[in-house]
Amino acid sequence: MRKSLVIVAAFLLLAVSAFATGGQEAAKAPKVLKCAFIGGANYEELYKEIPKWEAKTGMKVEIVYKGDGFQIDKKLKTDFAAGLVDYDVCWDHSSFFTQYIKAGGIVPLDEYFSAEDLKDFIPKILDSGKRDGKLWIMPRHFDISCLHYRTDLFQQYGLKVPGTWDEFKATALKVQPQLPAGVYATEFAGKEEALTGRFYEVSSCEGAQYFDKKWKPGFNAPGGVKAATMFRDLYKAGAMPPGMTGFVWEDVAKNWVAGNIVMYTEWYGWYSYFQDPSASKAAGLFDIARQPKGDAGVYGGWAGQHSFSITKASKQKKTAADFIKFITSAESQSVEANLGFLVTRSAVWDKIIADAKASGKALDAKRLELAQYQAANDFRTPPLVAEWLPSSDIVYPIVQAIILGDKAPQAGLDEAAAKVEAMMKERGYYK
Amino acid sequence: MSMRHRRHAGAKVATGLVLTLFFLPVLWLILTSFRPNIEINTRPPVWLSRNLNFDSYLALLGFGVNPERFAFGENVPFGAYLRNSLVTALFATAFALVLGTLAAYAFSSFKFRGRNGLFLTLMLLRAIPGIALSLPLFFLFTRLGLTDTLLGLILAYTALNVPFTAWLMAGFIGEIPESLNDAALIDGCSKWTAFLRVELPLVGPGLAASGIFAFLTSWNEFAVASVISRTTAAKTFPVGLFDFTGEFVSDWRGMCAMSVLMLIPAVIFVLIVQRQLLRGLTLGAVKG
Amino acid sequence: MQANVIQPVRRRRLSSKVLEERRLPVLLLLPAAALMAFVVVFPMLYSLYLSFTNFTLVSQSSIRFVGLHNYQTLFRDPVFLAALWRTVLYITITVNLELVLGLLIANAMSHVMRGQGILRTILMMPMMFAPILVGFQFKWIFNDQVGLLNNLLFEVFRRPVIIPWLIHKPLGFITIVVAEIWMSTPFMVIIFLAGILSISPDIMDASEVDGATEWQKFFHVTLPSLSPFMYIALAVRSLDVAKAYDLVSIMTGGGPAHRTELIWTYVHRLAFTSQNFALGASMSYITVLIAVAFTLYLFQQLIKARKVRGL
Repeated sequence: MRKSLVIVAAFLLLAVSAFATGGQEAAKAPKVLKCAFIGGANYEELYKEIPKWEAKTGMKVEIVYKGDGFQIDKKLKTDFAAGLVDYDVCWDHSSFFTQYIKAGGIVPLDEYFSAEDLKDFIPKILDSGKRDGKLWIMPRHFDISCLHYRTDLFQQYGLKVPGTWDEFKATALKVQPQLPAGVYATEFAGKEEALTGRFYEVSSCEGAQYFDKKWKPGFNAPGGVKAATMFRDLYKAGAMPPGMTGFVWEDVAKNWVAGNIVMYTEWYGWYSYFQDPSASKAAGLFDIARQPKGDAGVYGGWAGQHSFSITKASKQKKTAADFIKFITSAESQSVEANLGFLVTRSAVWDKIIADAKASGKALDAKRLELAQYQAANDFRTPPLVAEWLPSSDIVYPIVQAIILGDKAPQAGLDEAAAKVEAMMKERGYYK
Repeated sequence: MSMRHRRHAGAKVATGLVLTLFFLPVLWLILTSFRPNIEINTRPPVWLSRNLNFDSYLALLGFGVNPERFAFGENVPFGAYLRNSLVTALFATAFALVLGTLAAYAFSSFKFRGRNGLFLTLMLLRAIPGIALSLPLFFLFTRLGLTDTLLGLILAYTALNVPFTAWLMAGFIGEIPESLNDAALIDGCSKWTAFLRVELPLVGPGLAASGIFAFLTSWNEFAVASVISRTTAAKTFPVGLFDFTGEFVSDWRGMCAMSVLMLIPAVIFVLIVQRQLLRGLTLGAVKG
Repeated sequence: MQANVIQPVRRRRLSSKVLEERRLPVLLLLPAAALMAFVVVFPMLYSLYLSFTNFTLVSQSSIRFVGLHNYQTLFRDPVFLAALWRTVLYITITVNLELVLGLLIANAMSHVMRGQGILRTILMMPMMFAPILVGFQFKWIFNDQVGLLNNLLFEVFRRPVIIPWLIHKPLGFITIVVAEIWMSTPFMVIIFLAGILSISPDIMDASEVDGATEWQKFFHVTLPSLSPFMYIALAVRSLDVAKAYDLVSIMTGGGPAHRTELIWTYVHRLAFTSQNFALGASMSYITVLIAVAFTLYLFQQLIKARKVRGL
């Protein structure tokens, strides 16, 4: 009898301890936070900080997808449409997020981020992620364009830094005939959203509204025609590389670092690459200036912010918010700041400007101060509407046609405006 | 006799010239994979590089080497891509051969209602490109949980290859004279056994031909794979090529390295099978 | 093996015994048919349904039936019609050029006695490239600033030669034709080589005895024997080029200004970037129908050609 009791007791003890440890293990088994992020080059440095958050919370982070901007946009759109969202945190961007709102893929962040949490972020940038009064994306870093110009070539040809787009055009046209073969006064990215963005930027400077308050297209106003004509005249005079209508960001940067461009507008984010003597022939030979302004007194300021959002499908939204708070914290942003990214927290700005001043290279500090100034005054995103990309698909081939001389500026833009209006009507914007 | 030699010499020169032209881009691809990115695509061009090394390959194969600043090779899951591409292509080829040959046998050896119509429909399904199919297929696969799975890709690629396989094999099977088959039947085999024992062994060349095309099609397919696969669980090489293109900077050297590695299995496969291929096409294609 | 390659073999006649076994063909066809139905037919039917709605990638919840609206739109869309025309032109030019080149190269190669295996493998290398990769390759070869071609010209003329191959009319179109021909002529060569090698040596010897020159032999013996091969090659390749997307999308993206816009580059942009999947689906259908009609026509020609050869 005693033997069997002992055996039963031992068995019970074993069972209980198995349960206990099992329970402990279940509690210890890390829960996973899944993310879909932008990848490539410098974007991934930040992700090396993630283990710190994992250690702090005991969670595991799994980046289930990494792709470039357009790839991840396509993925998010198709995922939201098919209901196949298996990640909690996703990349987002001021130019793209309105599509995701419409697709019902992301949730507003106001309930997860208090005023205290948002206090340190640059206000204009934060605002660019708001729609219908709600905040949808948390800023990671932003980019804005400024005028880059070669100081040596400006000196050689006696040029002055242009303050308006008229001066910009005149300077380019003046210097091009004097330049050797294969060197160009300026260039622009010439296709897809890149071209639409530049066109939108310059035409806004000249007073044309891409969409008016009622979402009717207005880029065929005189301001838009003037902008398109500028592109066309520069191309026709050979002041831009002839292959430009095939360029996107990488191509224009390549021409710049090859030393073949006198001046052009470019994103700040390229700075460290441009100053790297082993990669860039323009290293140490250029300066920057605020974008030129147009007839409407508006300075160029096409900008965008890379950010993070929480998916509607996420079952751990609070945890996701906590992760986002970590990945957009001052520490995390310092990591990106050191790589040359323009971060979105004011506190970090103060520090990096101080560091830059100490570096001894005047341009390091100047560019940060200018960037900060532009962020506060000129920051302008494309129209925050899901139809931005569809309208771009209509506009950019026509702007290309204008540049190449296939269509006249006014006629071409009128045609584009009519098509965009038809599309917006079909999507229910004019009730 | 000397006239013929001269003519053949001319043919040899022409062939050599043509082959050089066709091989030049391949050569350029291989060379580019050994040079630093800054020497690729610059003006003035760098023809003979002093900086040739295997770094981009080492990075890709996981030796922890980072060739240069914007090289992406280290982070590319080469092993996963290799596995996914090989498994998908081999299984899809095998299944396409089986399904296609069975269908071809049915079409060429039996007369039944709607035979011609069905055969034609099967061929015409080939007019549908992966692009048109990709999104609806994506929705369908999502409902069935087949997205981002190798099984899903295998099913899709098998379907993509069955029409051509069936068509090619129908020609081969039709070639075989009835007398052979009758001999087996007289010996007491059923029709099916006759097929397995007599006809199938004779269409080896046809299987080789179909196999090559099916493999290459699956190996190089992009449109469907880019939508169906999303993570390293199912991503294949063609989709993986885009890992080397960044939004702002691309690593061409790395992409060339992976492309060269991508070519190797295809070359091996074709080398092994190409002899059979030629014999196969000789017999099969014409008679349709 | 009794298969007779010297004389064309008659198509097998079907015995009455065969007609009794009706179940077997159905069983044999079932797997293939089931797979095709599942992977191709059902999705395409779904796509057909979508083409009658206003489905966009971002407005799933408010999907609405719109009847023939999308089809009406596409017939009034000058870009679509131009792309359709341009695709037909693209197919016609590339496939015919590939055909001619393939014939000439195959003929030349048939005279080379040694090293056929290696030659064939080298020749087939372009076929082993993923079309995506070919797109990247040729995009860089034709780049105006630093492309291989312009760099070669730079070496020849000793000063920068900036020809924007991918931009100017008609250079842009020519570049995508060149890339496609590079990639696919080997396919033609292989097919025709097979055909040439299958021509009985007796016929060739006979013509030589009659005193025929190389060109006469080519035109009067080789070409006619190859005509069924040509139709097959035409049918297969035309369908393949009609599906062209990867190559052109990487090289030019259909641009600039729609100059190299083909059907599928346009449809892809409409469906994915512009989110208008329903319109894209309707365009897909029209295009596939046209491709089907064309293939049917080619098959008819093939049957005629076979009859002529007494097959």
